[in-house]
Amino acid sequence: MRRLALLLLILVEAGCVSGAWPRGSVEHDGLPPQKPPSAGENLAIIVNRDNPVDNLSTAELRRIFLGARGHWTSGRRITIVMMEPGQPERTAILRQICQMSESEFSNHFLHGLFTGEVLVSPKTLASPVGVREFVFNVPGAIGYLRVSNVDSSVKIVRIDEHLPNEKGYPFHVPAPAAK
Amino acid sequence: MYRPRQLNSMNKQSKFLAGKVGRHRPGAVEGSGSFSRYSSALLLFLVFCVVIIVGIVVILDVRSTGVEAQKMYAGSVLGLHRIGDLQYSAQETRRSTFYALSTNDSNLQVKYADQSREADHLVIEGVSEYLREAKSPVEMEVGKRLQNDWSAYLKVRDEVLASILEGSTKEAVDLDLKDGVTLFDRVREDLEAIERLYDEQASQRLANVAASSRRAMIRLVGVLGIALVFAIASVWAIQRSRMQSAIQLARLQMEFVASVSHELRTPLTVISSAADNIADGLVEGKEEIKNYGSAIRSQSHQMTELVNEILLFAATKDRKNAYILRPLKVSDLVDSTLVRTSELVKSAGFTVDVQVDAELPNVVGDMSALSQCLQNLLINAVKYSGRSRWIGIRAFVSDSEVHKGKKVCIAVQDRGIGIDSSELPHIFEPFYRSAAVTAEQIHGTGLGLSLSKTIAEAMGGDLSVVSELEVGSVFTLHLQITEEHKLPVASAASGPGATVEK
Repeated sequence: MRRLALLLLILVEAGCVSGAWPRGSVEHDGLPPQKPPSAGENLAIIVNRDNPVDNLSTAELRRIFLGARGHWTSGRRITIVMMEPGQPERTAILRQICQMSESEFSNHFLHGLFTGEVLVSPKTLASPVGVREFVFNVPGAIGYLRVSNVDSSVKIVRIDEHLPNEKGYPFHVPAPAAK
Repeated sequence: MYRPRQLNSMNKQSKFLAGKVGRHRPGAVEGSGSFSRYSSALLLFLVFCVVIIVGIVVILDVRSTGVEAQKMYAGSVLGLHRIGDLQYSAQETRRSTFYALSTNDSNLQVKYADQSREADHLVIEGVSEYLREAKSPVEMEVGKRLQNDWSAYLKVRDEVLASILEGSTKEAVDLDLKDGVTLFDRVREDLEAIERLYDEQASQRLANVAASSRRAMIRLVGVLGIALVFAIASVWAIQRSRMQSAIQLARLQMEFVASVSHELRTPLTVISSAADNIADGLVEGKEEIKNYGSAIRSQSHQMTELVNEILLFAATKDRKNAYILRPLKVSDLVDSTLVRTSELVKSAGFTVDVQVDAELPNVVGDMSALSQCLQNLLINAVKYSGRSRWIGIRAFVSDSEVHKGKKVCIAVQDRGIGIDSSELPHIFEPFYRSAAVTAEQIHGTGLGLSLSKTIAEAMGGDLSVVSELEVGSVFTLHLQITEEHKLPVASAASGPGATVEK
């Protein structure tokens, strides 16, 4: 069993390498090409428009993203939507919400799934558009996007009563370090 | 060349000679000929109109049928396209959902979900368009039903898609089998119902086109039949008119021959009897022979004048005659005519009342011909005066638009039997004699008035008549006034003048 877990871990790591951020620039019909994360930008936590949840605390969010909470208060199953490993947004979320590295996050889910502590595993999408479409299609989905990638098809959730454009909002993608 | 000297002597018998004229030539019955021409033209015009109407009706029918056929084609093709698009989009919506079911890749699942939504939008748009253009209640009902069923299916589809994307494949399949299949079957039935409606509409339009085509055919046959009837009627009427003209001409010729024969027989009988008596030695003494000679000469003159009249008419109608047109004094013309008819008038016991306005302008004409013309009118007045023994002659200037400006008029009036209004249009036709005149055995050939009118028209004038039965008649000769500065006044006997061929 441990061997299988290790194999999965290796595969996840390999996906991390192959899923570097250029894949995130996949264009989608009707939307402008994604601009590279040249500057720091806030990350919006998004849910389906039919989801009645408007506000989440950072702690609740952490529980959700770590798979500790399986259902919304409405009874809908929670589906976590993540971008592929290596994406700055994912890295930022892991660091700022989960307070984990990529490998720690992978290990957490592998372990949790084996032990049954984790109820849902995250869905991985290659592009912000894919994330947005997924959240639009699945009523219980929750994901994250740069604010500039958000449109009216999804709903932004307040975090600790803050919207991404408000002061004190906790999540953002840092600007890439100059080479 | 017209030779007046040959007609100068008018004797007692000349009253029967006035207008008793010569030979017939084809087409001489101008009145009936012109009537025939007018009726032919009218009938041909009617045929032309009918043909035009037929053409218009045929064009309209062909156009109408064409429009109907185009409508049918457009309706059917559009309907087939629409129903085909709807069916395809509905299938595509469901197919894309199944594609999403067939993979675990969330990116592909999202892509298929997106495709499914695009397809369902097309269905929604198609149904809305169908409802916008629906006219009958049945179409509206089917369209609304499809709209509702499609909405119901989409709710299930959304749930299925959500389950697929969540990774709950079994749940998605169960949901689709439970509700999706049923609802999609309903949608399919609705689409089939719409297709049936399109089929019915196409059949209806096809029937309309067929009916329109049938109507057009019947109408075409009908109007062609009418045109044919009109054409046949025209030909028949023209032929009938010509035949009647020919019959009338033949009848008039027979009457003319009989009349002339009668007129010739009387002097011939006198001459023959006189010759017999002389030959048989029954005439004795110089005085008696002188009387016989005088009678023979008188009858010979009468025959000569008759023959001359006939030749004159023939020459006039053959346009071989030529008139010498000169300025003439109206008083000279009237006086000349009175002198030539004085013996006839006197012997018949008539009073002639002559009124010639003072200072009348000169007229243009041939003295002999115009005198002959007036003489005919006077002789007719004597012949048809009945018990009245009065004739009026009046010369005056008239200015009427009917006769194109100022003219000198010489009217010859009698208080005789008059002419019936139905006869008036025909009295100037050659050979024409009214039934009443024939019945009263008033001799004549029916050429006098025709000859007079021809002469008047040859002088640039006209001859008109006003008459009332049992009251009398007025024949008026309208003559052109001389333009003095162009035509110097000449004596009636000689001098150069313009010549008009007639």
